[in-house]
Amino acid sequence: MDTIIIDGMSFSLPLLIAAIGCIYCERSGIINLAIEGFMGVGAFSGALAVVLTSNIFPQGGIASFILAMTCAILGATLFSLLHALLCIKFSANQTISGITMNILAIALTTFLTKQINSSLFNKPSAKLELGITQKFTIPYLSEIPIIGAFFQEIYIFNIVIIIVAILAWYFLYYRKFGVYLRACGDNPQAVAACGIDVVKTRMYAIMISGALSGIAGISFAYSIFANFSSNIYVGYGYLSIAALIFGNWKIIPTLFACLIFGFSRSLGYSISSMLELPSTFSDIIMTLPYILTLLLLIFFSKNNKMPKALGEIYDQSKR
Amino acid sequence: MSDYIIEMKNITKKFKGIVANENINLSIKKGEIFAILGENGAGKSTLMSMLFGMNKPDEGEIYINGQPRDIKSPNDAYKLNIGMVHQHFKLVSEYTITENIVLGNEPMKKKFGLFPHVDLKEANQKVKELSQKYGLQVNPTDIIKNTTVSTMQRVEILKMLYKEAEILIFDEPTAVLTPQEIELLLEVIVNLKKSGKTIILITHKLDEVKKVANRCAILNKGKLIDIQEVANISTQDMARLMVAKEMSFNIYKPTIELGDIILDINNLCVKTNIDVVKNVSFKIHAGEIFSIAGVSGNGQVEIADAICGILPCKGSIKFNNIEISSLSVRERVNIGYIPEDRHKHGLILDFDISRNAVLRDYYKPQFCKDNIILKNEFVKFADSLISKYDIRCANGAKTNMRSMSGGNQQKVIIARETSRISKLVIFVQPTRGLDIGARQNIHNEILRLRAMGTAILLISLELDEIMQLSDTIGVIYNGEIQTIKEASQLSKEDVGEFMMGVHA
Repeated sequence: MDTIIIDGMSFSLPLLIAAIGCIYCERSGIINLAIEGFMGVGAFSGALAVVLTSNIFPQGGIASFILAMTCAILGATLFSLLHALLCIKFSANQTISGITMNILAIALTTFLTKQINSSLFNKPSAKLELGITQKFTIPYLSEIPIIGAFFQEIYIFNIVIIIVAILAWYFLYYRKFGVYLRACGDNPQAVAACGIDVVKTRMYAIMISGALSGIAGISFAYSIFANFSSNIYVGYGYLSIAALIFGNWKIIPTLFACLIFGFSRSLGYSISSMLELPSTFSDIIMTLPYILTLLLLIFFSKNNKMPKALGEIYDQSKR
Repeated sequence: MSDYIIEMKNITKKFKGIVANENINLSIKKGEIFAILGENGAGKSTLMSMLFGMNKPDEGEIYINGQPRDIKSPNDAYKLNIGMVHQHFKLVSEYTITENIVLGNEPMKKKFGLFPHVDLKEANQKVKELSQKYGLQVNPTDIIKNTTVSTMQRVEILKMLYKEAEILIFDEPTAVLTPQEIELLLEVIVNLKKSGKTIILITHKLDEVKKVANRCAILNKGKLIDIQEVANISTQDMARLMVAKEMSFNIYKPTIELGDIILDINNLCVKTNIDVVKNVSFKIHAGEIFSIAGVSGNGQVEIADAICGILPCKGSIKFNNIEISSLSVRERVNIGYIPEDRHKHGLILDFDISRNAVLRDYYKPQFCKDNIILKNEFVKFADSLISKYDIRCANGAKTNMRSMSGGNQQKVIIARETSRISKLVIFVQPTRGLDIGARQNIHNEILRLRAMGTAILLISLELDEIMQLSDTIGVIYNGEIQTIKEASQLSKEDVGEFMMGVHA
């Protein structure tokens, strides 16, 4: 039971922060299917920093953690600017741009990982081996039966994610920036008529989605997976997009969607290890989150209300 | 200090070589209602968009309160206390009225002295005070998408007042309103003037200018024709200057003997998500113009769609004594339909004239042989329509629809629908957004069809159009026909009351 909760949380929270990034982007009116690519580039940048500096900052240490986080955020934000350039400056089709970002991210990170491994470490591998960041347990709270598991063996990433998520929620709903951002996704012309810069707001929104996806990416790489390779994040970007769609582009409902996905995954793992199934069966159980996605889609799609101007190319001269 | 709050000197603006405004000089006094009159495309909106910072003049200068000003963006305009109420509302549909009004200028508050956040309570209070002060009734917490068009317009006005605008530009404010709402709006405008605001009214409706404005400038094809005291000029003279050609206000409509019943509708009901049309019955004879008057969204468009077969319906629709209510659109031959939204439902804008002209007939033998379409036949047919209906286009049948003016686009639809042998033609809002000249053309076309013995169903939101053209008027309110009478037995005011469902 405890492992289900611990694993569930450490899978749900990175999904959540990526989904929140995507909410920022889509509420501003830009379709963002590139979350997965942003995550990949973020994870790669962070992992690379960790590997390169492991002589100075021991892996798993707090300095290494801070460095990984910073580089992941920077790398993913820089990469997201490419999406911004295509979607805003060149008015490209946002769906295609997003998918291109994802393909590019996989190809680029795999290529670079291989090159770096063979030239710096002399081992031809498409993986960057990482340690696992520190975990800690909150005294007293963790001793409560059942719920206590939420306070056991917490990755430091999870704490960061929770703080960032709360800040993101506060900024989106209570600060002017968030109000303008959401208005941009509904009627950009109205926002512009009030003297607010739509292009800049959307630019920031894309960059925020990059930064938050970077956090998600490095959280996967530097904790549960303990390595970076292009297949650790495949599918999770789309899963977080699915989560925000069930969450109706709102942060709180998206949190619940992410928890459902995370816990169905950890539940699947526990069941397969409990029953001692051969790996072929456990692979089937691992499809649980995706099957759940399909089922939820059937039931929830009709109540969905996406941002009105989502995907519409903003034309200043349109009146 | 100059006497004038706004002075525009030698303003010229060109768009891709087309002159939108040519060397315009005008001055507006503080506290007056100044009307800018002109047909569609005369350059009124362009001129005012430069005052509001949405466009920049190519030549010329703008003085506000005697100071030369370079207005680069709407933001600059707000800083100079200039506000504009746009023709197409610029509102965030998911936000409340208050949130829209304060957008860009939200009052802030700190929670626990630490976390600043937008203070909606304070904002609601401010909006309430503002709405009471100027008599603009709104409920601050309503969500925009659930409100009516006239409420949205009030929100737009409040938005400007909240920004402390002293100069208010109204761009065709009455185009979307019912007669009663227009009255209310004009009252508001007069009140605003009384409280010291300067008002600029862009319009092509002469009676409104006559009612409220102090002075008016008349534009024609980008040039300033004249500036007059409204009290010293008649509406006929205004119209003459606007179009720069004599035009008759009264349409010549000969009396015609009514023919056989062409369309006979009995207990027609249409259900979309609600019951939009309830037990509607009426008859149209050959050579009769039957109009349905009503406020937008009361079921009139659904009646037209049901007759054409676009919407499923209950009840009986007899056309030439044949029950057609279960036939498909294509099987309902000899019915022409000019839909409300010519861009959405009437045309394919990125196709050329020839392909739009055959949209309803492309599969017929004259245009299609062994399942291969005959493009040359399309062009021949389109050429014949272009000369017959006097459609103005740059590249003949190959002209892209999007590049044409609204009036000529509408002509293409009318040509397509009436060149088929139609015994019934349905016009929905045929002159929406068109200027006086184009309207006249379309009204003449309707009358020509009537003279040929075609039955005509005219659905319009513009009462003047209905009063001018109709033989018989049915008024619809909330999906039900309130009354059907001969046009001569109904006054405009009666129709207005029926439209609002308040006729005693």
